[in-house]
Amino acid sequence: MFEWLTTDPLNGIIITITFFISVIIGRYLRKKRAAHGSKGKLVDPRIKILFLFILIISITLMEHWYFPIGITVICTLFALKSKILQNFSRKMIFPVILAFFIVVIQGLTYGTNKIYYGIPLYAEGLDSGLLIFARVTAAASLAILLLSNTPENEITETMRWYRVPGTMLDISSLMSRYIKAFSAEAKKMKWAQESRGGFSKRSGFSDKMHDVASITGALITRALVRAELVYRAMLSRGWKHDRSFTSHQPLNHNDLLMGFVFTSGIMILLGIDRML
Amino acid sequence: MTLHISDGILEPGWIFFWYAISILFIALGLRIINKRIKADPVYLPRIALIGAVVFVISVWHIPVPVTGSSSHPVGTPLASIIIGPFAAVVISAIALFFQAFIAHGGLTTIGANTLSMGIAGAFGGYFVYRLLKNISPLWISAGMAGLVGSMLTYMTTALQLALSLNPGNVIYYWKLYSLGFIPTQLPLAFAEFAFTAYVVKYISETSSMKNIQSGCPLDRFTITALMLMVSIASIIAIGAYIGYPGGTNMAGTDSTVEAMAAPAASPGGIGVRLMSIFGEPLGFALAGITGGLFTGYFWSELRRKN
Repeated sequence: MFEWLTTDPLNGIIITITFFISVIIGRYLRKKRAAHGSKGKLVDPRIKILFLFILIISITLMEHWYFPIGITVICTLFALKSKILQNFSRKMIFPVILAFFIVVIQGLTYGTNKIYYGIPLYAEGLDSGLLIFARVTAAASLAILLLSNTPENEITETMRWYRVPGTMLDISSLMSRYIKAFSAEAKKMKWAQESRGGFSKRSGFSDKMHDVASITGALITRALVRAELVYRAMLSRGWKHDRSFTSHQPLNHNDLLMGFVFTSGIMILLGIDRML
Repeated sequence: MTLHISDGILEPGWIFFWYAISILFIALGLRIINKRIKADPVYLPRIALIGAVVFVISVWHIPVPVTGSSSHPVGTPLASIIIGPFAAVVISAIALFFQAFIAHGGLTTIGANTLSMGIAGAFGGYFVYRLLKNISPLWISAGMAGLVGSMLTYMTTALQLALSLNPGNVIYYWKLYSLGFIPTQLPLAFAEFAFTAYVVKYISETSSMKNIQSGCPLDRFTITALMLMVSIASIIAIGAYIGYPGGTNMAGTDSTVEAMAAPAASPGGIGVRLMSIFGEPLGFALAGITGGLFTGYFWSELRRKN
């Protein structure tokens, strides 16, 4: 009756350890999510960026297409569960087009063994192209999923922790603030132009380009004028070019543990891919 | 669409290599920006605001001729004209970082994309603008900056793809990727020409910007030469592109030139030997420069004789 217990214990030990570690991680994730009440705060942005970078580098090192495809499927399921599938799919269009272009070029030109699928293709090129396609979709879906729920200004502040030069961060934070302002302003200007006969469906390329360019030119002119006002506002808030920020929130132990678990997971996945 | 390489395409070695080159340019750019901020503190919000506008317009749809669709302009040639090429590199790196959030490009490819869009696009465009500024109207020099900047961006992207994906046969795949991009990127380059030209003309007419100065008007000869240059180059590129699927191995005009212009060329001749040393493109460039200089120099005499 208990003969199964007396044979090789390896599989049993592995399943037990992985199950219980997963239970602990799952409970931790649930608690963290409940504490913050938002999916975006699940992982510290500093860990998130580092994890994303390492994971994408690891994906580009993978030699089997099924691991990246597996990651894509998991990300798509997450997007479906988070009810952001439409936004997720829209953002995937560009990377998928570029990846498809590479599959076509590689399949038609690279290799020596010809195979026929209606048109002559090279087996090596097709393999390499499909592997790249799988890597691109995996990397893009991960980036979309992880970055889409993190505000840009939060990421900009995170970069300070990574010792990115202060001037660059000043420009970034000002840019991120004014991107939204100028987007709204450009939309209003476009509506105003449309109400005065601009962007007409009957107008040709030159007229349309003239309409776009006049809005852009006006925006740039306004930006130049507004820079002076922004500078005065910055001075009134005590801004100095050569000041340094020292108030970084330290990484807490849970975030560090999360980072360690993520990185170990990636390394194990890469190791399995290389061993197969 | 602007050509941003997505995550997962480049090999890790190339990811770090392009990052290293871009960081060098960004560091230089930051040094210049810091110096200018010390002299004129308003410079910081000025470039940030210009950067924000460039970001907004670079994700804005502009109509593209021939294809009948719309696409995004590169924007860096325009930025380099307004705030200078080094500041444009910094701005484009930041813009690419933000664009990674909307899946335009990627996090690991910021270095590669900064090189193609920020460095090649901005510096190429700026160089052309400076070159033509004093000999042509402002809108032509700005437009040509947009056109060349856009084309350099996609040619650099094609080179980056060839280096990473096909290291064994880089030149062949560089040509191949460049040709593959032509259907979308060539019309976009012409749209970029019109866009940059119109914007710079608008700003010069409505604002007293220090960086934008009016150039001399073009004479008829220069306009004709420029138009012929753009038309013939486009015909050759399109011809080679059409010929490739027909199995001509992208020979383009090469074989025609060899058969018609130099049927009796000696294999040991100076031209052939120079080409074998410096490579065909440099040989053709040398021939073009010599022939062009000679024709331009003696143009009046040649016309008078005719």
